[in-house]
Amino acid sequence: MNMSSKPILQVSNLTKRFGNLVAVNNVSLQIDGGEIVGLIGPNGAGKTTFFNTITGLYTPDEGRVFFKGEDITGAPPHKICKLGMSRTFQVTKAFTEMTVEETVRVGAYNRHGEDDVAEKVDEVIAFCGLEEIRHQKCGDLGLAPLRRVELARAMATEPDLLLLDEAGAGLTAAELAELMEILRRLNREQGVTLCVVEHVMQMVMGLCERIFVLDAGELIAEGTPEEISNNPRVIEAYLGERAIR
Amino acid sequence: MDTVVQSLLNGALMGCVYALITLGLSLIFGVMNVVNFAHGDFVMLSMYFAFFIGSMWGVDAVFTPVVTFPLLFIVGVVAYYLIIDGTLRQKYVTQIAVTVGLMTFLRAITQLMWKAQPRALPYSLIQGSIHIAGYNIMLSRLISAVVSILAIGGVSLFLSKTWPGRAIRAASDDLDAASLVGVNYRWTYALAFGLGSALTAIAGGLLMTFQQVDPTMGVRFGLLSWCVLALAGLGSIPGLLISGIIVGAAESLSMTLWDPRARSLIVYLIFILVLWVRPRGLFGRK
Amino acid sequence: MKIRSTTFNRVLLGVVLAVALVVPLLIRTNQYNLVLVTTVLLYGVLATAWNIIGGMAGQLDLAAFAYLGLGAFTSGTLLIRWNVSPWIGMILGGLVATGFAVLVGFPLFRFKVREVWYALTSSALVEVLKVAFVMWEDVGGPVERYLPYYSFSLYHMRFGTYIPYYYIMLAILVIALVVNYRIGRSKLGFYLRALGEDEDAAEILGVDARACKLKALMIYAFLVGATGAVYACMYGFIHPNFFSGARSTEVAILGIVGGMGITYGPLLAAVILVSAREFLRASLGGQMESLYLVIYSVVLILIALFRPQGIAVMFRDAYRKLLSWITGDEHVLEANTPGI
Repeated sequence: MNMSSKPILQVSNLTKRFGNLVAVNNVSLQIDGGEIVGLIGPNGAGKTTFFNTITGLYTPDEGRVFFKGEDITGAPPHKICKLGMSRTFQVTKAFTEMTVEETVRVGAYNRHGEDDVAEKVDEVIAFCGLEEIRHQKCGDLGLAPLRRVELARAMATEPDLLLLDEAGAGLTAAELAELMEILRRLNREQGVTLCVVEHVMQMVMGLCERIFVLDAGELIAEGTPEEISNNPRVIEAYLGERAIR
Repeated sequence: MDTVVQSLLNGALMGCVYALITLGLSLIFGVMNVVNFAHGDFVMLSMYFAFFIGSMWGVDAVFTPVVTFPLLFIVGVVAYYLIIDGTLRQKYVTQIAVTVGLMTFLRAITQLMWKAQPRALPYSLIQGSIHIAGYNIMLSRLISAVVSILAIGGVSLFLSKTWPGRAIRAASDDLDAASLVGVNYRWTYALAFGLGSALTAIAGGLLMTFQQVDPTMGVRFGLLSWCVLALAGLGSIPGLLISGIIVGAAESLSMTLWDPRARSLIVYLIFILVLWVRPRGLFGRK
Repeated sequence: MKIRSTTFNRVLLGVVLAVALVVPLLIRTNQYNLVLVTTVLLYGVLATAWNIIGGMAGQLDLAAFAYLGLGAFTSGTLLIRWNVSPWIGMILGGLVATGFAVLVGFPLFRFKVREVWYALTSSALVEVLKVAFVMWEDVGGPVERYLPYYSFSLYHMRFGTYIPYYYIMLAILVIALVVNYRIGRSKLGFYLRALGEDEDAAEILGVDARACKLKALMIYAFLVGATGAVYACMYGFIHPNFFSGARSTEVAILGIVGGMGITYGPLLAAVILVSAREFLRASLGGQMESLYLVIYSVVLILIALFRPQGIAVMFRDAYRKLLSWITGDEHVLEANTPGI
């Protein structure tokens, strides 16, 4: 079970550059334990780069990342996972030749040994509704079940903070509702903090208690869904002229 | 002390040729993320071609690249389409494995056809040596170094000023960032492979003015070019030249001060050391 | 009578094992054939061990005979100088080989260092060790160093005939196959498979890429190094030519052609290709020795282009068809056990 609303993730002055392009520019934010927060912004705003930088796939050029009070800046991804942060990917990185069950098992080994790993796998598969396809190869799955598998394997690592990168893209309304329900249960029943990068507004507004808005690598707004949808800067970022850049 | 400086000079000159060889490797690696294991054997192949052209038609080794450059270019492009293109979608191990297969094939074929006997051409017109400040510099080595540097410069211009050259550079830059773009760069791969292989022809012709060729040359130039590539890293052509000179000088020094057989040991040690300490290379961008 | 597939599999395995055990006794008078089958077993061991680093960890290792040579020299030198039994030499040889492997692998398995560098380094390692051992006159040198001769000594692992070596190789082969099989079903095996699929995704799930690859490398190097000790005894001498780049490449070819996902794949390739090679060598003589390398490399390229999963997959599918016909059990065709 997770703790109270102590900050679980603290990012200060995070900057990541690729040559001349500043993908993430001096971003500072804080997520409290048990929250569901959203991270939105127009295409190319740097959301995925932000995720990549805090999960260890990229090393930041400036700034620090604190997870559960510990400095994880530049730490390798597997260490960050061990500490309790996991994520899904925007472009699904499925283990195509492995079955659903095997994929979840990889995640489950994070906190379980050979004795009880099978139990954990069963638990996660049941939670995410993957019973029927557990023996199918991931390469044969459609988009919606694949998304759930990605979620399941990240969940199997028993994270305290789970980052979801556009998990809702390309799903039908029914599939979306299913996904949101799983996420809500994850947050309520197991206390997992969620940070959701999304373009699908229905998911963001329906799930998130707080929302951060990124534009061109900068954090331009922060607040509740109502505050954000009425924020003129946010509206401009989405509707405004991109041609200048 | 004199011998040391002499050795350094000789090594540095050789290093320019090594840099040229490595440039070919770097072109291919930068664009396709595949190292052609057979690259050193392409050098050997061009040396053999130079030998046969030289002995059959009485042409000086120095001029053989006129024929061997296009020849190796074709060989490279054919090798690319025949062998490598088909594996682009597969596991990385498989992609590397086919160039290993090519390397094994070339070495075995040369052994079969031309046996282990070394071949050398009679003296080239660039024979003799000149004396600078009391040091003896063989003309053939000096000219080889100069031609190599010119060739490297030429490639550099090609990459920055011509359209196919810029396409190759774009393909190398795109490697890490834009898997999202998904543009089909296959013809740039073929071009890079052909050009990279053709560059070995120039080096091969130059080398034949003062060296002999046998089937073990592939191993030697393979290791040398990987070492220079590791030291230099990807993305800087001047860096490649400097790294070539460093490796050449080190190799030469080790032979003079330690043991003639030790050349590959030193090269390997540099190789491993660079990978331990600075895998990006001295001048690399990634 | 309906036969269950598991029963049939077990019986078949038993038959294969029995045949393998009996073979040397059947051909015991023909020394040449004995050497042949023992060599096939040797390459079977090397290729099966290679599968751990190549098939499972996805690294193109070209240093099999580097580790073999290190094991041979360690064990051989200990035997020559201090009369240490090769049975102990096997363990020590394995450890020395493993130590070297770690030295090489540690920097190269760092996150984000591309795999090609390990392949290059391992390829060069063999050649360089050869030169080093030629120069190291104390231990190596250009001339063969003979192990003390005994017509039959268990302690010294010397026998008047090849038969005991056959059985030793067979035992090591069984060990290698079992190790392969067990790893495939263990946490390490799952982690390695995940790494092979997508390294980023695996890392984010807690898989320490470097540690896993190193573990695979160490197991492989130990097995090969230990085999090196036996190799030295078989030949009766140690010589820097043991460090052969061509033979190391052959081992990798066997692993790839056999099939990197299937436990017995490399063994299958070894049986077919090494027998073919020895046959060629017998009929055409040493002059044509390079010919088999030409054939090997062409086979490798063809397999890589057209059947990248290896020949064992074809064999397995054919076997499954046979099995489902015999047992009348259709499910056999879709079995999805990793490694089989």
